[in-house]
Amino acid sequence: MKPVARRDGLLTRDLKDELLVYARDEHRAHCLNHTAATVFKNADGTRTVADLARLVAPEADRTASEAVVGETLARLAEAGLLEGDPAATGWSRRDVVRRVGIGAAILLPAVASIVAPTPAEAAATCATSCASKADGTPCTCFGANPCTATCVSGTCSDGGSC
Amino acid sequence: MGSLPSMMPRLRPGSARTGRIDRLGWRAGTCFDAYGLRVGVRTNAPALLDRLGPHLPPGWRACASPLVDQIFSVWVDLDDARRPSRVYAGRSRRVRTADLAHAFAVLESEIRQSVAAGAEHRTFVHAGVVGWGGRAIVIPGRSRSGKTTLVAELVKAGALYLSDEFAVLDGRGRVHPFAKPLSIRGASGCDRHAQARRAEELGGACATRPLPVGLVVLAEHRPGATWRPERLTAGQAVIEMLAHTVPARLRPEASLASLERAVARATVLKGARGEARELAQILLRSVEEEETVSRHGTGEGGTT
Repeated sequence: MKPVARRDGLLTRDLKDELLVYARDEHRAHCLNHTAATVFKNADGTRTVADLARLVAPEADRTASEAVVGETLARLAEAGLLEGDPAATGWSRRDVVRRVGIGAAILLPAVASIVAPTPAEAAATCATSCASKADGTPCTCFGANPCTATCVSGTCSDGGSC
Repeated sequence: MGSLPSMMPRLRPGSARTGRIDRLGWRAGTCFDAYGLRVGVRTNAPALLDRLGPHLPPGWRACASPLVDQIFSVWVDLDDARRPSRVYAGRSRRVRTADLAHAFAVLESEIRQSVAAGAEHRTFVHAGVVGWGGRAIVIPGRSRSGKTTLVAELVKAGALYLSDEFAVLDGRGRVHPFAKPLSIRGASGCDRHAQARRAEELGGACATRPLPVGLVVLAEHRPGATWRPERLTAGQAVIEMLAHTVPARLRPEASLASLERAVARATVLKGARGEARELAQILLRSVEEEETVSRHGTGEGGTT
């Protein structure tokens, strides 16, 4: 198996020991730790899992490092950063942690993801109008109970005039 | 800032059209620039323009040209003041209300959000900001997350006020003041009855220049909680702040670059907090300690 990381429609920024990835189509942002970034950058369809394992942890036990790569590929796939589905390793995450051991836990992959907000969602102060506001945005529409009202489907939850 | 010029705004070629709203009989207008976004306001009641000044975003400047990127419109019934007024952002009606104060509140909020999204050379992050020891403390968070409460306590403790709504980042990651009056809610958290308070009324002062970020605080208010934060990596910090970044979808590349530079030399803490007053003291001490470590690390002011 030679995994291929997604390349299209992505914006990437290298940080020290981390990689930021922004998927333009889905407006999802991801932070990859060192292990996840190494696998992501090198999964180009020419390297096997064993090759990637040697890049991630050249000193580590082969079975353990391949388990780490398998786990990394699963996380990248979950985040939509892998072309196709990774082959199942047959190992659970708990198995991977146990196999790698506490001392080498730093090798474990981490992929933190968010959906980037729309301008209205990010700027949502207590809205004075529910128009174009995300559901749940606190609002102070005229006639609403100003202590509890929120926007729901573009109108005020308790009947206020927006 | 100067005074607002009297001129009827027109959209720049290529801007979103306002359609049939243009035919509502506008009699007066004005134009201003805020953070590079040119904004026009028009109304059928010229006297309303005299009331506009306090509702404009901090840092606005009068424009000499009537060509703007965005038009806001305020329509009132001149024959019967009891009939609802209407506020439009572009072609979209934002409010219909018989309460003129509410109409102005909507207008103010819509203009601020428009500027936050449209400012091309600044990245607006929904956050409270104060300055301490020459560095900014940035507190990102959603509305009603306690940002203003914490900012107010920090200002009372001597920190300089930059904003209770937006951290305005430049391309170098520095935070610029956006010092609108603090919007302080009562114990009920009620927005309608929030009070606008200037930093000076809290015994504080406003920052007048941009500051590099020293500390980012991602704090969730839980009554009785003890502040035991985790320290985030730079990448984690950028992701957390991106969730509060207004132009995140519009200009992801510039947003990520500004955020990355903002957190490059900052400590980023995330955790549950208890009372704001207690946390304010902890945060100020934290900035001072980091500053001391930094000075000794570089040899600046050290005793070696």
